Amino acid sequence: MLARSPLPPPAGGQTKDAHTCEIKSGIVTDVAQTGDAPDRLVGKRRAGDRFFLGLSTTAAASIMVILAGVAIFLILKGLPAITANWDTNNDLAGYQNKHWGSFGNYVLPMLWGSIWSALIALVLGAPVAIGIALFISHYAPRRLASALAYVVDLLAAVPSIVFGLWGIIVMRPFLLPLADFLNQYLGWIPLFQGPVSSTGSTMLAGGVVLAVMILPIVTALTREIFLQTPRLNEEAALALGATRWEMIKLAVFPYARSGMVSAILLGLGRALGETMAIALIISPSLLFSVKLLTDGFNSQTIAANIALNFPIATDIQRSALIGTGLMLFVVSLAVNMIARGILGRSERKGRTSSKMGKRA
Amino acid sequence: MKLNRITTIGAAGALAAIALAGCSATPSSTSTESSSAMPTSSAVTSKVDASLTGTITSGGSSAQANAQAAWTAAYNAQAKGVTVNYDKSQGSGGGVTNFLSGAYDFAGSDSPLNADQTTQSKALCTEGGINIPVYLDGVSIVFNVPGVTDLKLSGETIAKIFSLKITDWSDPAITKDNGTALPAGKITTVARSDGSGTTANFTNYLAGTQSSVWTYPAGKDWPVEGDVSKQKGGSGVVQAVEAGTGTIGYADHSAIGKLASASILQDGKPVAFSPEGVSKTFDVAAVDASNGVKGDLSKKFDYSKLTAETYPIPLVSYAIACTTFKTPAQAKLVTSYIGFIDSTVGQQIAVKNAGAAPLPDSVLKAAQESLATIK
Repeated sequence: MLARSPLPPPAGGQTKDAHTCEIKSGIVTDVAQTGDAPDRLVGKRRAGDRFFLGLSTTAAASIMVILAGVAIFLILKGLPAITANWDTNNDLAGYQNKHWGSFGNYVLPMLWGSIWSALIALVLGAPVAIGIALFISHYAPRRLASALAYVVDLLAAVPSIVFGLWGIIVMRPFLLPLADFLNQYLGWIPLFQGPVSSTGSTMLAGGVVLAVMILPIVTALTREIFLQTPRLNEEAALALGATRWEMIKLAVFPYARSGMVSAILLGLGRALGETMAIALIISPSLLFSVKLLTDGFNSQTIAANIALNFPIATDIQRSALIGTGLMLFVVSLAVNMIARGILGRSERKGRTSSKMGKRA
Repeated sequence: MKLNRITTIGAAGALAAIALAGCSATPSSTSTESSSAMPTSSAVTSKVDASLTGTITSGGSSAQANAQAAWTAAYNAQAKGVTVNYDKSQGSGGGVTNFLSGAYDFAGSDSPLNADQTTQSKALCTEGGINIPVYLDGVSIVFNVPGVTDLKLSGETIAKIFSLKITDWSDPAITKDNGTALPAGKITTVARSDGSGTTANFTNYLAGTQSSVWTYPAGKDWPVEGDVSKQKGGSGVVQAVEAGTGTIGYADHSAIGKLASASILQDGKPVAFSPEGVSKTFDVAAVDASNGVKGDLSKKFDYSKLTAETYPIPLVSYAIACTTFKTPAQAKLVTSYIGFIDSTVGQQIAVKNAGAAPLPDSVLKAAQESLATIK
């Protein structure tokens, strides 16, 4: 159910290499094995080992195959519309009531919509999720922590269409007074401009519901990461006179940084691909917009657009919709790679700087 | 621990009981008592052969969904060996696509096959697919204005409101139509965000009768941009109109629930929605727009023929079937079912259970004749 980010090796304790311990009058000394021990291990690989090796390799390979399969499907099915002439094709010339001219013009506003809504969800949801995870791992008493963790995991079991219905019936009217307030006093900021919605079908409502939807994913992963922080580091920080918050800053966050980014990326992935909730809550338009409080100026997302238009689409229009799906796939992949790249670079920098720290 | 094991067994047993209960439950017959209330004079009848067996696979328009469910239940009461599957999640477009690929025996669609699709259908059925009207309903203008229970609007005012030219309820045009002035307030128009046959019918009406005000093309997607609240599905529109204030929207009449529907001024007289009004519209204003295949009954509406007794915004939904089936047995099955739908009894079932309007007898007779040509 939950994917686990690659955890760093457990601090201290046992390592994978076989060690023999010699006990001499109460003192334990580790004696490293000689070189031929690994060879002996490999040579003695039993059928059971080979079976499990095969099984896990197949699982890993099948993930690759599935991913490749999805990519190939998207490319093959989307190509007819991407390469078609959007001026002359009957079905595409005025698709969704606008003259696009090319596939790029069609997909770009929606790409912006997907990214913008996911960004809002992250900005609203990730800090709260990290806060919850921190509370569960470091601040709460044991019983409360496990109960809270259970409740947050339960949130992940709620189907997204139920979130959509909750958003329509509860969140939209709930956020209307806030929308009026923001528009009245902060209306000079482009985000809060525009004719305020009276039905509440705004990007703000969609963003809030999306934030609630990514909470369980980010919280669960981050909580696991925080719990894995080596106690020695935490105790060392506390021993040096750090307060609880300073200890978290010094010992927990640096250790958990890569895991937090993984968790946030997973949340981003879910937010980018969320279909039903957005389709139900937001009143969409195919344009570039940053406004949060309006009815008529919310950028439509790719996934919701596909959900709304697939049933009545003709063949080439379906191909166009699948093409937009391909663009979303590519962008998700790109965002992931960029984030990992930045993380990799900062980790390398962190390692060298910590060495410097030691010398000083 | 003992307690653990007992609770585990108990839970497994409960789960099994629930699952098996779900399997064994037969679909309870939804009000088939309506089939006994039969009008006796000049009724178009269709005898259902109770010995028929088989499966009908179909799907498409969600506007027909409630009616299809009622028709299936009533049909099954007479022909117990037949299973009818209608997938309403496909939408009109999905239904047509599946029909053209050969997966469906017939498709439910809010618009008839266009020229390209008719050509494609010729590969499937030697002569081509035919469109048979099965469902008649109207598009209601629903509103939610505090303190207003009765609203009268002329076609021109409706066009101006929905194209965002009139933005306040106290506008003189609305006052003139309604007789009394409404309290001032912002008008929020609610439309469909998904492509829909309801939008197509409504924009058809607006483009056909108010072309000077409504300069947008008719189509399945709502064309107006700006401060419009767009919602998914007819139920989404109804929910948004209900929950907001000063809202006005359009929806299939069978879906409006307890919302009030505006009367539309026709020749100076207000015409409220009624099944008789819509049937009259079909009688008077429906013009043949055949796709060329023999037996096709596609219709277009000539809005210049509207009178003070016709409800101006009708919505017709078709069953698209092949003229030749793979096996004569399947042909018999499908024509029997569609024949049941296009009988006076079948239409009354739709009126009672889905809030639709009955198709006039002339169309039903023509439909029975078309069905007779299917082999």
